[in-house]
Amino acid sequence: MFEEAALEIEIAAHGPVRTRVRASGSWTFEGLKTRRNDLARRLAELEREPPERIAWDLTGIAQLDDSGAVWLARALRSAQRVEASPRLRILLNQAGEALQLPGAKRRPPDPLSIPVQIGEMALEFGRHLRDAAIRLGLIAIRAAELLRRPRDFPFRELSAGVFRSGVTALPVTMLVGFLVGIVLTYLSALQLKRYGADLLVINIVGVGVVRELGPMLASIIAAGRSGSAITAQLGVMRVTEEIEALSVMGISINARLVLPKVISLAIALPLVTFCTDLAALGGALLVSKITLGISPGAFLEALPRAVEVVNFWIGIGKSAVFGFAVAFVACHFGLRVLPNTESLASGVTRSVVAAITTVIVLDAAFAILLRNVG
Amino acid sequence: MSDSGDAQVIEIEGLLNTVGAGHVLHRDLALKVRRDEVLALVGGSGSGKSQLLRVMLGLKQPQAGTVRVFGVSWSDPKWKRVRDARRRMGMLFQNGALYSALSVYENVAFPLRERGGLPEDEIRAIVHSKLAQVELDPSRGALLPANLSGGMVKRVALARALALSPELLILDEPTAGLDPDRTTRFVQLIKRLREEQRFAVVMVTHDLHPLYELTDRVAVLAEQHIIACDTIPAVRRMGHPFIQNFFGPERRRAADAG
Repeated sequence: MFEEAALEIEIAAHGPVRTRVRASGSWTFEGLKTRRNDLARRLAELEREPPERIAWDLTGIAQLDDSGAVWLARALRSAQRVEASPRLRILLNQAGEALQLPGAKRRPPDPLSIPVQIGEMALEFGRHLRDAAIRLGLIAIRAAELLRRPRDFPFRELSAGVFRSGVTALPVTMLVGFLVGIVLTYLSALQLKRYGADLLVINIVGVGVVRELGPMLASIIAAGRSGSAITAQLGVMRVTEEIEALSVMGISINARLVLPKVISLAIALPLVTFCTDLAALGGALLVSKITLGISPGAFLEALPRAVEVVNFWIGIGKSAVFGFAVAFVACHFGLRVLPNTESLASGVTRSVVAAITTVIVLDAAFAILLRNVG
Repeated sequence: MSDSGDAQVIEIEGLLNTVGAGHVLHRDLALKVRRDEVLALVGGSGSGKSQLLRVMLGLKQPQAGTVRVFGVSWSDPKWKRVRDARRRMGMLFQNGALYSALSVYENVAFPLRERGGLPEDEIRAIVHSKLAQVELDPSRGALLPANLSGGMVKRVALARALALSPELLILDEPTAGLDPDRTTRFVQLIKRLREEQRFAVVMVTHDLHPLYELTDRVAVLAEQHIIACDTIPAVRRMGHPFIQNFFGPERRRAADAG
């Protein structure tokens, strides 16, 4: 098929041209493969001699491709005595010119790059806040308009959204709630047993689940499930120009896409939270019976006394706000996706992280605002 | 509509449009599209045809200048006026931009349902008539866009763009990605629909075939503005190198052969 690339070097004792080089065989990627190191070493040796003192005979080359041409051109440099066919010369000249082109210069590291990056991140964060505030305002305006003409409200999207982010989320959210209820009760029971305060487990787990853990678990799972789905959906709609097609038709993106999503999650999440509360308390009931010997009847009887009902309403109210926030953050990031795959991937990731962070920040705000309640 | 008697459907004046970090794409660009005419927008790659189209459609806010479609500026604070202007135009995106979650029927019905005020049986009649107009069998209505060929996507998208009987139709590369036979048929389709419905057309195209078949005037975008906007013979008489190249004899022959 092909001969290996070969290089013969003759060194004359005297005369203006001391070195005669004869190259033959296949100077191709394949042909250079087997004796690669040997050829590279010998060509490098030739490069040490002044180019005008070497005579090249390249007529024996059967095949030459770009990698062979680059090797030869690097060794040839400005050699004048070159015997080669015209076709070979063209390839060698191209390779020689390409070798002269400067490579991409690596920029020296900027000593201020870290503060610059922090500053840029702060500016980016500010832009996000500004855009989110604008979108929130637009949603409020569209919602007010739809209140006057409720028939225009996209009810089908709303009910589909409640089903998708509510009903289908129940199995996983309730399972997680059940397990967290078990773990929390078990750990509390171990400690409380030592002080003989067994019955306090109902207070601790009851308030913890109903007021904090239920809403948090439900919204974190909603951020991962529904939030990522919303961002990906809007992002793909951007990539396929469906968002543009809606805008061009004079359809408000905020009214048609964002509003039903935020409202449906704000409706669905309290319902999911309620079921998560039930599952977690079920887990607590089970472990209380096993580790502390509190009968289910006694547990259920003590629960309303231990946990004021206002805690439940705080939990439900918080999850409505969290649901709105998760869907809003997801829409915000989804609509910022640029029409390329990289932007879609990073948009979804950032959306989930930002949604969870927002939920935790809001939760802290609620904790401070409602510290004297319940 | 008070402005329905106006001679222009699109008016662009003094447009300054930049992309990225201040790279000027259009400077002092002016363009007027008359009612009932077919205007083709041509220009080299990177001359900003698509960006100009986005500005025309109000998808991008220019840095300066006025853009009016049916006499309405896209930045008009009264969004109902903007919406009403939008309902008088149809847009055919290069890749169709059909709603991928909706069937063919629902895609065409979408603008009708969004406008509201029509009972479902009238919507069905309109959708079926629009599908027939673009030579699609209404029995295909249940298919999803993912199951359609490229040519069918274009025709469904055209049916959707025509759903509200627009006075202005904007086409982005209407024949890109179609084979020569389908190109001819698509061009004939637009020609026939235009004769029936008398809408103005603005199209961006590289293809000489629709250009010679359809257009009344050609706007040539080069050097950041419209260097010529006239009938094809008048534009061809201009000595600008892009025009000479674009309408050159070789391309003309290729178009005739196609």
